[in-house]
Amino acid sequence: MKKKIISLLLAAAMVCTMAACGNSSGQENASSNAKAEESGSSDAADAVEPADAPALGSQEGAAASAEPVAIKVFSNLTDRKSGQGFVEQTLFDQYMAENPNVTIEVEALDDEAYKTKFKAYASGSSMPDLVNVWGQPSFLDEVIAEGLLAELNQDDYAEYGFLSGSLDGFSKEGKLYGLPRNTDVMAFYYNKAIFEEHGWKVPQTYAQLNQLAKDITAEGMIPCSMDGADKWPISIYYQDIVTKILGDSQQDVRNSVSTGDFSNAAYKQAAELMQESVEAGLFQNGFETSDYGTAQNLFTNGQAAMFYMGSWEMSMANNEEISPEVRDNIGIFMMPVVEGGTAQVTDIAAWNGGGYAVTQNSAVRDEAVKLLNYMFLPENWSKIAWENGVCMSAQNYADFLTGEETSVQLAFTDIISSAASITGVTFNDLGDSEFKTNSEDLSAELAIGMVSPEEFIAQLEAAAK
Amino acid sequence: MRKIYSNKRVILTLILPGLLTFLLAILAPICLSIYYSFTDFSGMGEAVFNGLDNYKAMFQDTGFWVSLRNSLLLAIGFICIQHPLALITAAILDKMQNKAEGFFRCVYFIPNVISVAVIAYLWKFIYNPNFGLLNNILKLFGFEGNVNWLGSGSAIWSVLVVLIWHGFGWGMLIYYTGIKNIDPVLYEAAAIDGATGKEAFMKITLPLMKPVIQVNVTMAVISALKQMETVYLLTNGGPGDQTQFMANYLYKQAFNSFKYGYGNTISVAFIVICLLATVLLNRIFKEKDA
Repeated sequence: MKKKIISLLLAAAMVCTMAACGNSSGQENASSNAKAEESGSSDAADAVEPADAPALGSQEGAAASAEPVAIKVFSNLTDRKSGQGFVEQTLFDQYMAENPNVTIEVEALDDEAYKTKFKAYASGSSMPDLVNVWGQPSFLDEVIAEGLLAELNQDDYAEYGFLSGSLDGFSKEGKLYGLPRNTDVMAFYYNKAIFEEHGWKVPQTYAQLNQLAKDITAEGMIPCSMDGADKWPISIYYQDIVTKILGDSQQDVRNSVSTGDFSNAAYKQAAELMQESVEAGLFQNGFETSDYGTAQNLFTNGQAAMFYMGSWEMSMANNEEISPEVRDNIGIFMMPVVEGGTAQVTDIAAWNGGGYAVTQNSAVRDEAVKLLNYMFLPENWSKIAWENGVCMSAQNYADFLTGEETSVQLAFTDIISSAASITGVTFNDLGDSEFKTNSEDLSAELAIGMVSPEEFIAQLEAAAK
Repeated sequence: MRKIYSNKRVILTLILPGLLTFLLAILAPICLSIYYSFTDFSGMGEAVFNGLDNYKAMFQDTGFWVSLRNSLLLAIGFICIQHPLALITAAILDKMQNKAEGFFRCVYFIPNVISVAVIAYLWKFIYNPNFGLLNNILKLFGFEGNVNWLGSGSAIWSVLVVLIWHGFGWGMLIYYTGIKNIDPVLYEAAAIDGATGKEAFMKITLPLMKPVIQVNVTMAVISALKQMETVYLLTNGGPGDQTQFMANYLYKQAFNSFKYGYGNTISVAFIVICLLATVLLNRIFKEKDA
């Protein structure tokens, strides 16, 4: 018996060592990945910290103003030199300059790695003090249920100008747990110059969009560039069509996901419409494996006439790295309405996604809340983000209009201010993380015709139940 | 000196680092994995014991079977395509005996030196239907050149080509070293007896290379089963689950769907399958030895 156990152990050891050297290259990655998977831990997610993160002060704890305080921040904004990461870092630097006793240590990882490590932090006891969260049930429900986040005092934000409804995703049972960073709107970016040159018009109905796709394909161009590898843009595209049939449907969609009932004919119609568009050649060949960067490059290189993406890409219009022929000609339009539906073009796919929360068990919780409140003073996040053309905050930023906005910024502002209804969190993020994976996989499979609209609805219902 | 080495404490201290590494980094995670495979752990909160539910779910999970099938397909690809080619190339290299030998050895090994991430993106661009190299070559020859290489249907073959190509240099290098270790006198004697190159390869090289082939094939099968990073970066299992491989599927379940419990169930199945494959291969080679 003893011998058997020993030989079994040896055999196990052999497999593991062979597994480690059997891989042809990148062995270090491979073996650490394998271990991470086998143990269910997440050292695979250990990754770089931004080089410009300020050094860590060694003291923690007491919150008296003069005593040194170190606040650890866990962020999903890895690029600290541009975009939202730049705004975040600017505010941290500003805060440290105003409060010399405070040091802020930033750890930043990209979304997927971030979520994985967040879980690892959540199961340990060393959660950073200020963390990035998504105001979506697929992410936040479980985190709140575990009691990981500190409740924020809603009265603190009475003067902050948060848009109505923007805090909903970050609240649970009347309690507020986080603040949203921005308002996201999904739109078609299009190249006005190319449209003009070929005499193409912005489509007013979904049928016109399909016709446009055919016209553009006939000219040998890519009509619309789509990031299909990430799958969530396809899910949002689908949701966008549903909204353009049903109109204000936020509550309906929520009910469908929670009950698993997608029998409303609009869901099937939207699925059929999406397949029609793909058949009409709306998206580039092989869109299902094009990642974000590749899809965006097709548009910024002028190979694609349109690009379906969120308002956070508005900074394309002042990105020096994009050639002026494209950069200066970017326009936007919303998903056109579906004929026969009850929706208007002002029923839009928009939500408040990313934001911040403070950890419940943080040793410097009060200091972290102070920092959070400082960041979202209207003259901070809102203003800096807007002036740099980064994004639209979830607050009223009308006071900060400079008159030097790009036309894209102004167009998005118009769209938000004239919206008849917004979708809120899109359907793929309304369930748990398993539903998110399944529904996004399904959306992608629907788009490439691997499942029929009927199968899509049936499997979506099964996933929601 | 003998006294020191026969002291059990000394022996213990000498093997301790290795033993500890094995216990803590390999055995303990496997045991933990087995424990979690019987729970519904989501990565946060309590892990609730749910008996064999995960295992039952796994046996009914088409994604799991597809990924297992693809992994085995890759193993077959390695054994039937990559390794014969590698062995023959190694034998040819051995016969070159001049500067070309070093040059080609180096060229064939280059893919193994480049980081997996670079390889994956390189191929992603080669396969890209809109501006990829492959479609542009097709256009040169008058074809339409709009093949969606990583699309439905063709994706698995495109991925297999990359994986087989990528591991080729490594296998070849091991065979090459093996061939270099064969005593040249044998070839001389065979030449004197009038053996052709082909006969020498079949009757001298192959039989003497058996231990090398055994190690190489075992390693290839295990690396096929645990294939992860190239696939993750190239297609992430898509479209649908068409290019899903076991390790990648495990990752997706554990870290995208946050079903740690179920992910661990797959990883336990994974360990069992790797063990079985090793035992089976050893047995096959042993029978041939007899």
